[in-house]
Amino acid sequence: MSAIVTIQDVVKEYSLGATVVQALRGVNLTVDKGEFISIAGPSGSGKTTLLNLIGCVDTATRGVVEVAGQNTAKMSERELTNLRLNTIGFIFQSFNLVSVLTVFQNVEFPLLLQNKLSAKDRKERVEGLLEQVGLKTHLKHRPNELSGGQRQRVAIARALVTDPLIVLADEPTANLDSETGQAILDLMKSLNQKKGTTFIFSTHDHRVMRYANAVVRIADGKVTGRESPQDAVAHEMEGLDTRSTEVRAS
Amino acid sequence: MDRVVLLVRIAIRNLLASPINLLIGGLILLGTMVFVLLGGMLDSLNQSMQKSVVGSLAGHLQIYSAKSKDELALFGQMGNFPELPAINDFPKIQEALSKVENVKVVVPMGISAAIITSGNIVDGTLEKLRNLYKARDGQPGDPKLEGVPREELALRIASEIAHVRQIIKVLRGDVEKAMADMMNAKSVEPRNIEALQRVEQDAFWADFEKDPYTNLEFLENRIAPIVTDTSLVFLRYVGTDLDKFQKSFDRMRIVKGSPVPQGQRGFLIADLMHEDQMKLKTARRLDKIKDARANGRLIATDDELKRFVKENTHQTRELVLQLDGIKTAALVKTLQDALPSKKDSIDALLSELLATTDENFDQRFTQFYELVVPQVQLYRVKVGDMLTIKAFTKSGYIQNVNVRVYGTFAFTGLEKSPLAGATSLMDLMSFRELFGYLTSDKAEELKEIQRNTGARTVSRENAEDELFGDGAEVIAEATPGIIDPDAALAGTGRKLREEDLIRRVYTQQQLDDGVVLHAAVMLEDPTRMDETIERITQVSNEQGLGIQVVSWQKASGLLGQIINVFRALLFVAVGIIFIAAMLIMYLSVLMATLQRTQMFGTMRAIGAQRGLILSMVLVESLVLGLLFGGLGMLAGAGAISLIATQGIAAPNDVMYFFFSGPRLIPQLSTWPLVVALVIILVVTVGSTLLPALMAMRVSPLRAMQADE
Ligand SMILES: Nc1ncnc2c1ncn2[C@@H]1O[C@H](COP(=O)(O)OP(=O)(O)O)[C@@H](O)[C@H]1O
Ligand SMILES: [Mg+2]
Repeated sequence: MSAIVTIQDVVKEYSLGATVVQALRGVNLTVDKGEFISIAGPSGSGKTTLLNLIGCVDTATRGVVEVAGQNTAKMSERELTNLRLNTIGFIFQSFNLVSVLTVFQNVEFPLLLQNKLSAKDRKERVEGLLEQVGLKTHLKHRPNELSGGQRQRVAIARALVTDPLIVLADEPTANLDSETGQAILDLMKSLNQKKGTTFIFSTHDHRVMRYANAVVRIADGKVTGRESPQDAVAHEMEGLDTRSTEVRAS
Repeated sequence: MDRVVLLVRIAIRNLLASPINLLIGGLILLGTMVFVLLGGMLDSLNQSMQKSVVGSLAGHLQIYSAKSKDELALFGQMGNFPELPAINDFPKIQEALSKVENVKVVVPMGISAAIITSGNIVDGTLEKLRNLYKARDGQPGDPKLEGVPREELALRIASEIAHVRQIIKVLRGDVEKAMADMMNAKSVEPRNIEALQRVEQDAFWADFEKDPYTNLEFLENRIAPIVTDTSLVFLRYVGTDLDKFQKSFDRMRIVKGSPVPQGQRGFLIADLMHEDQMKLKTARRLDKIKDARANGRLIATDDELKRFVKENTHQTRELVLQLDGIKTAALVKTLQDALPSKKDSIDALLSELLATTDENFDQRFTQFYELVVPQVQLYRVKVGDMLTIKAFTKSGYIQNVNVRVYGTFAFTGLEKSPLAGATSLMDLMSFRELFGYLTSDKAEELKEIQRNTGARTVSRENAEDELFGDGAEVIAEATPGIIDPDAALAGTGRKLREEDLIRRVYTQQQLDDGVVLHAAVMLEDPTRMDETIERITQVSNEQGLGIQVVSWQKASGLLGQIINVFRALLFVAVGIIFIAAMLIMYLSVLMATLQRTQMFGTMRAIGAQRGLILSMVLVESLVLGLLFGGLGMLAGAGAISLIATQGIAAPNDVMYFFFSGPRLIPQLSTWPLVVALVIILVVTVGSTLLPALMAMRVSPLRAMQADE
């Protein structure tokens, strides 16, 4: 399988006045095409930072980030924007739909930015996707008329409408109850299988990790390992046990 | 295209989301509407004023000497005249200008002013009396009295004596009134009282016949000076080529009398001036009451009309002064029958006649004009009179010229306008003669006449000083022979020469070939005025014509600037509205931008370029501005066409000039629409640019952060 994301020795530093915070301290990672990968780690470990670099909304301080074969360090703002538009789909933790647009218009938005398809083709594409996410009947609704799960489905449809190579989702279920969260993951998984789109999502929820092909573990700005979801879940449980033991011991 | 639709759609949606946009939109709508409405009205006002100014005196352009230090102000303050150096070579200028494209005709002019003092009524009556005695005694005097039988002369003498005694009675009344008033008492000279007392007594008149010439002299020397009823009439006039003037200013029409025959000397009085200043005041007031009543006003309720009636009943003096014995007796009888009344004094009868009410007004009005007016002189200067107009030139050299009044004139639509009706017309030759602008041979010929004519010295030079102060350089004074124009021109030789001058017909060449002070230029296409001004200036420079050229607007002095002042005020008012709109818009867009950073970040993350975000914010304001601006324009245009169906009635006589008639029909003009559009664009883009740039710079990272 060919690598669609390659990350080598990436360091990301944020300077807060005089002090410098290292969010990533030398990360190496390869994601292959068609993978359904989870980036797991505790809060503040650097998950979002890593996804931002892959999603080309931010650049690394040092190291190489290659997305779809392109080195993002050498690209202009305009090129990065085009790369995002054509290659990457985003699913956000808080859905980030445009509140004044309808469901249909929200999903159509990236296509309009691309400006490639005719109105008719766009309609077909958008309605097809909304059907796949189960919202065919809600085309004319406004985001605030939908539940959280429905909104995230719209977001998924929007992320996929341009047929991106990679879909990035930063804690996509954090704002949903667990049942709805699992349904969303089911949907993402099925789309991954149907279309072969690469999914990279971050989470610290072991119930979510289960869906992944592989779990990349990250702690303190470093990748600590890559494991199967089963192992990851097991680790997670262990961690919980350890922690609870410690609590008991004290 | 779809993206634009999307932007507009997002814009509209966003606009609807925030009620403050209604306020902003409302302000833009108001500003635009006011601007389009008032802009259009001002334009129409400007056009109608242009019609008035251009059509009544100025022409489209005015030229005058480049050497002039004063600016030409045709409608300037009364008495405050621009001092214009003479243009000596008018034919050359006319020749040069007529070759300039778009110039239709050049009308030579010279603006000036004169005072007319109505002649002393006692002087006139006494002169008549003297002539009657002379005729009786077979001495040469008034040729008209030759061959009148002695009996009739005796009768007429008796009538004139009654007239003089009536005048004395009136004067006595004046003096008594003055004495009763402490403030004025001092101004009554004791020797005047003495004189009046003497001539009041029957003894004086019983002995009058014994030595009429000595007694007349006493009356002339001691009584006539007491009469102070000489009211001054200030007369603005323009010396011009009258034929050309009438042809070029085609709204001009003759009201009374006739035009001055082609090429001849003559004077035309502005009709409104004639009515307002030269008509019997009582008659004028009756006219005004009639007019007002026709417009629905009532004497019973209208204070001004009440005042008119009161003045009419109290001020019968001006009528009584004019009546000699025969006329008085006849009128007393007529009025006793007509009213009917048992009163026997002419004063009381006239008072009763003029005590008009809403019920009897029409009848009394007719009675006044049918019974009283034929016995008196209705106008102080009437058609056919000779006006003596005097000019005091800079060197103190006095010229005077006699011109015949041929008629009165008005401009169609401007009949009631005091501005258009303030300037009378004189022929060019008289004007040149008056100001010493004649060629030497003509001047010589005229001097001959001058010698024989002999300016009738008027003892009222002081009056001008009071009126004009020391600033005025050129003053003309006119003494019309109002009591009896023929008598004023005594002397057969002089008369013949006068007649000769009056009949004289000048050729166009003679008219053109001479000095003018300024000239009106009529254009074929007034819209190309600026262009033509430039061209004329160029021609003047090339050929050394030594003239400057100004638009009607400038030439009309302050008057022409009024519209510009209004326009400036409009801009200020609308400016304030739009600045308010701009400020509120700025704050609102800024707030909206700050609230929507996550949306902008999300769009950027999804793949929207910075430019799209920028245009999104701008389009939002543009849509708001153009939508409400468009509505404002429609509202303004609608308001104008609504007003246009009725027109705006001129609220007073002065406005007749500005409205160029009784009504102003406003028209929609394009410039306010265009300017409004530009202002809207400036306001919207100006107030939105900063927030839009901020929105554009929102990082796509912002999408990843939880809101708030
Ligand atoms: N914009 C930023 N400025 C400064 N520090 C930041 C910024 N973003 C993230 N960090 C820091 O980098 C580290 C990693 O953060 P993040 O990638 O958001 O972790 P996670 O998503 O796993 O919770 C944290 O210590 C965080 O405080
Ligand atoms: Mg995070």
